[in-house]
Amino acid sequence: MKLYEFEGKSLFRQMGILTPEGRVAASVSEARAAAEELTFPLVIKSQVLSGGRGKAGGIKFAENMMELENYVKDLMSAGFSGKSVHQVLIEEKLAIAHEFYMGITLDPLKSLPLLIFSSEGGVDIEEVSREMPKKLAKEHLDPLKQYQLYHMVDIIKRTGVSGGSVLPLAKVLLNLIRCYFACQAITTEINPLVLDKSGRAIAADSKVEIDDSGLARIKHMGAFKREDETLDPLEREARRAGVSYVGMNGGDIGLIAGGAGLGMASMDTITAHGGKPANFLDLGGDATEEKTAAALRIVLKTPGVKGVFINLFGGINNCEKMAKGIVRVVDEQKPNQAIVVKMRGHSQDEGWALLKERNIPIITFGTTAEAVILLHAKMKEMES
Amino acid sequence: MAILVNEETRVLIQGITGTQGRYHALKMLEYNVKVIGGVTPGRGGEKIWDLPVYDTVSEAKMNHRMDATMIIVPAAGVLGAAVEAMESRIPLIVIITEFVPFHDALQIRSLAAKDDLCVVGPNTIGIISPDRSKVGIMPGFIYSRGDVGIISRSGTLTHEIASNLTYRGIGQSTCVCIGGDAVKKTDFIDVLKMFRDDEETNKIIMIGEIGGSGEELAAQYLKENHYPKMVAAYIAGLTAPREKRMGHAGGITSRGCGTPEAKIKHLTEAGVRVAGSMDELLQLVK
Repeated sequence: MKLYEFEGKSLFRQMGILTPEGRVAASVSEARAAAEELTFPLVIKSQVLSGGRGKAGGIKFAENMMELENYVKDLMSAGFSGKSVHQVLIEEKLAIAHEFYMGITLDPLKSLPLLIFSSEGGVDIEEVSREMPKKLAKEHLDPLKQYQLYHMVDIIKRTGVSGGSVLPLAKVLLNLIRCYFACQAITTEINPLVLDKSGRAIAADSKVEIDDSGLARIKHMGAFKREDETLDPLEREARRAGVSYVGMNGGDIGLIAGGAGLGMASMDTITAHGGKPANFLDLGGDATEEKTAAALRIVLKTPGVKGVFINLFGGINNCEKMAKGIVRVVDEQKPNQAIVVKMRGHSQDEGWALLKERNIPIITFGTTAEAVILLHAKMKEMES
Repeated sequence: MAILVNEETRVLIQGITGTQGRYHALKMLEYNVKVIGGVTPGRGGEKIWDLPVYDTVSEAKMNHRMDATMIIVPAAGVLGAAVEAMESRIPLIVIITEFVPFHDALQIRSLAAKDDLCVVGPNTIGIISPDRSKVGIMPGFIYSRGDVGIISRSGTLTHEIASNLTYRGIGQSTCVCIGGDAVKKTDFIDVLKMFRDDEETNKIIMIGEIGGSGEELAAQYLKENHYPKMVAAYIAGLTAPREKRMGHAGGITSRGCGTPEAKIKHLTEAGVRVAGSMDELLQLVK
């Protein structure tokens, strides 16, 4: 789960990383109250999960209360670049001496976390990597190693940084590594890390993504569990049912697949045969009757769905249980969309028997392509 | 021959008393797998399907010889179970459980790499050498014995391809599901190396998907080593929207890495016959 800037910063503070003095506000009156506790000039930062906020107009600077109120009112009502804003972070403006970059994320080539430090921050780090590679130090992190301050000093000095700023930077870098491991993070990034005029290293921004499977372990550090703002209502319903669903605009074929790989392959097959998937849905493991039924209800509700392709295996799951879920929804809704089920594996005979009783077309020994072709034929029949 | 698993393989099941553990222990026994027993802390002395249950792996080791362990415990317990298996030096450790925390997977991968242990998974259906044995949760009867080796990131795509090969009279030597997560120990290259030396395997199928870079690295290995056996591949997710998670932690295309186009290009350049569809893949290994 991606964290908002203010949430990431709260983790940073708990890990001993300095952040600017600031408050979160969800309304103009909250913003005013926040500003009264802070010292102008202030920065107003829209709390959204996408990057490139500054250039897109999501960050404003206010010299006084009137400017602040106007900016907050604007952002909260109109948003910026088509994004709506529900919360802003109001912070004291830093007296910047220099900006650095530090970040940790998984390097898929080595399956190891990669630490990147740059003596040029506040800009796109991929640009620095291309144009000023000497200002960048990269280090793969060993998850079994206890990192010490001197390791950080080594890394920082590789970028040409020397003198009094090395130590405060090294401390933040070490804390960022601790944060990455302790907070179950997939990504932790500070861009820019500001060295202010009094020599303090302060995280001016935060980009943190937490592993969904590790979220429960950091409950004591903050209540980050929430429904993703970027999800639509059906995606939210799917999340609650415990299935992975992504809606796609303009599709005509709904999909329920067992497993993400088979789901993507099913989408590819639907597309290759002239159809358009209306959604991706991975039923996942532990597919009970209830979960399968919930998945089918969601797919039937997906706008534009004229036919539903159900492509499942009884591996970790059981065909009989999944068939019961399908039959339950067919009985309760009598859907006017065509449904084709391809299913085999553990308890396949029991599953097939249940579907046959309801005259639901089944592909027993055929391929995914055969199932898609059959679904097209059934959809044509339903139309005429 | 086959790789990793054969009729002699003696298998321990960590998590045998759970719903999934019990069920799949039975399915393995029905497939004539030499299951020697199971481990669940606090349940030592019990029996599951007449198999002994132990409190720890080392207790099981005192009573049995074992070649492999299948870990099918809840996600929060996987790290502990894997460390236990690694410290007991079990030669093959297969982690079925999905939703294993990312940092636990990192730890497991690093520990296994340090001691050069064979860990497959997490988030896998396991390994099957059809008609001989399996360390996994796949329905054995949709697989059949033959000369095609399968390496796949996706569990159900392994079922899909293997079963359709079976229905066309094409059998498999060993099918290895390396798992769908971003961080895993055994990758395409490791299995390609094993298949290279396996007399029973003549053709190899790689089933990849968007995200990660295992396919790209495998392509590099195949090219550099003038791999002597025929390799065919299929990459799922050509039509998946970019930057959206498609179920697996590993199945995300990000920052231009791991796109299906890049994977197909690298594999094709390495001499791999990349199928445009699953049906075409079946034709390629006929």
